[in-house]
Amino acid sequence: MSDEAIPRQSFTDKHRKVLLGGLAVAIFLAAWQAVFLVVPFNKLFVSKPDLIWDALVDLIVSGDLMRDLAISAVPFVYGFSAAVVVGVALGIVMGWRERVSYALDPIMTIFYASPLVALAPLVIVFFGVGVSGKAIIIFVLSVFPFIFNAQAGVRAVDRLLINVVRSMGGTERDLYLKVIVPSVLPYIVAGARIAVGRGLIGILVGEFFAASEGIGYAIARFGDLFALDRMFACIFAIMVIAVVLTEGIRWAERAAFPWRVGQ
Amino acid sequence: MQAYISGRNVNLTFRPPNRGPVRALQNFDIDIGEGEFLSIVGPSGCGKSTFLNVLLGLIKPDSGDIRMDGKPLAGPGTDRAMVFQEFGLLPWRTVQANVELGLELKGMSSDTRREVSQPLIEMIGLSGFEGHFPHELSGGMKQRVGLARALATDPNVLLMDEPFAALDAQTRDLMQVELLRIWQTAKKTVLFVTHQIEEAIYLSDRVMVMTKRPGRAKKIFKIDLPRPRDYEMRVTPEFNELKLQIWNELKDEITV
Repeated sequence: MSDEAIPRQSFTDKHRKVLLGGLAVAIFLAAWQAVFLVVPFNKLFVSKPDLIWDALVDLIVSGDLMRDLAISAVPFVYGFSAAVVVGVALGIVMGWRERVSYALDPIMTIFYASPLVALAPLVIVFFGVGVSGKAIIIFVLSVFPFIFNAQAGVRAVDRLLINVVRSMGGTERDLYLKVIVPSVLPYIVAGARIAVGRGLIGILVGEFFAASEGIGYAIARFGDLFALDRMFACIFAIMVIAVVLTEGIRWAERAAFPWRVGQ
Repeated sequence: MQAYISGRNVNLTFRPPNRGPVRALQNFDIDIGEGEFLSIVGPSGCGKSTFLNVLLGLIKPDSGDIRMDGKPLAGPGTDRAMVFQEFGLLPWRTVQANVELGLELKGMSSDTRREVSQPLIEMIGLSGFEGHFPHELSGGMKQRVGLARALATDPNVLLMDEPFAALDAQTRDLMQVELLRIWQTAKKTVLFVTHQIEEAIYLSDRVMVMTKRPGRAKKIFKIDLPRPRDYEMRVTPEFNELKLQIWNELKDEITV
């Protein structure tokens, strides 16, 4: 056997990242479960993983969870889609036209930095507890990452590449299709990752304040009823959705923009 | 010699916002023969790259007469192509798609584009890399793609703006040899801007020294070294004599 033989990587070496991450989650859940072996357990005030799991299975089997999620999904889709369209359009104009950005930057920055959820009761008063009120709250929270990322994307367009296309006789349309859009798209997708999290906050807050159905309403109602196992089961469902959406976007990003990998 | 490209009394002043105007070119004259390889050396900021952009059609001069093949220059056109110092490759396009960019802008079908790009990619030695993205290539490979892209539209004039300045010294030497080989087969008129006197002598038929800003032609050296040129030529007495003469003209223009 030669000295240069590469030592074979063991299974644990190869999957170290996943194993360590999974181990931390397992320890967290086990510790949560185990702490009630010492601390007295009262299901009116706390819950633990095995009860939450049972509640989750119940909610799935009865169809309640899916019904609530489906109801909440409708305003989410409306609000989020509007945020994409308005945010991207506004951001591109702000990135392209200096005067528009001078005018709008301060007000946008103030809105983005403030806890806009505080406006939720007002929105409910104006637009009611239905789909439109919720959609507007989601829109308001998730539009800003699109604005700021699209703006940053346009500003980051390489002038040299504009000159390359122009020098080869490219038209204004060619500049958009061959340089500006491909430059800005990855920024918008990165903005979408942030916006998803904020949009989910929007749906919960909207349904906490005033709603008669939906996943946020379910969480609030189970809390009021001291059904903490079910409340946590619903929160867990939202967590799974948030992770699936953001990681899904990250995955789509890698598949759609392979040139970004090396940057 | 019949001038293929001629510039007479070209004047250009930049007026950047919030700053004073900058005179880039003043009464700039130039004549380039058909098929000639002319290099311009000059101090940083003397307007040599600016003149390339004027020839490319991206910048309009304030005054002056610029003609190509007897006709006044009007805007960008596929009879000229630029090789940029920073390559200017579109990062979201593969090697092949970058080479085909100019053909695509002309509205050529993908089959015809491929017929043009395939031999070019072969010529620059990147067969097998057609599907690679720029970030997967070395600097030298990127500039080969830049060169192939410029040649794809079959321009009469190649404008080269310090094309090898971003490369390491060894890669640069090899790229110079490569460029001469391509120039000799493709028969293009080349206007080559550089900071390196040695590079200018080795490649060119003539070398123009420019004054500091506002730039104009100070002196033109004819390089009577035989072609094809090889690497050993750089250590001959004739070569070094030229190098010294050009340096003596250039050094007065440089402020450190």
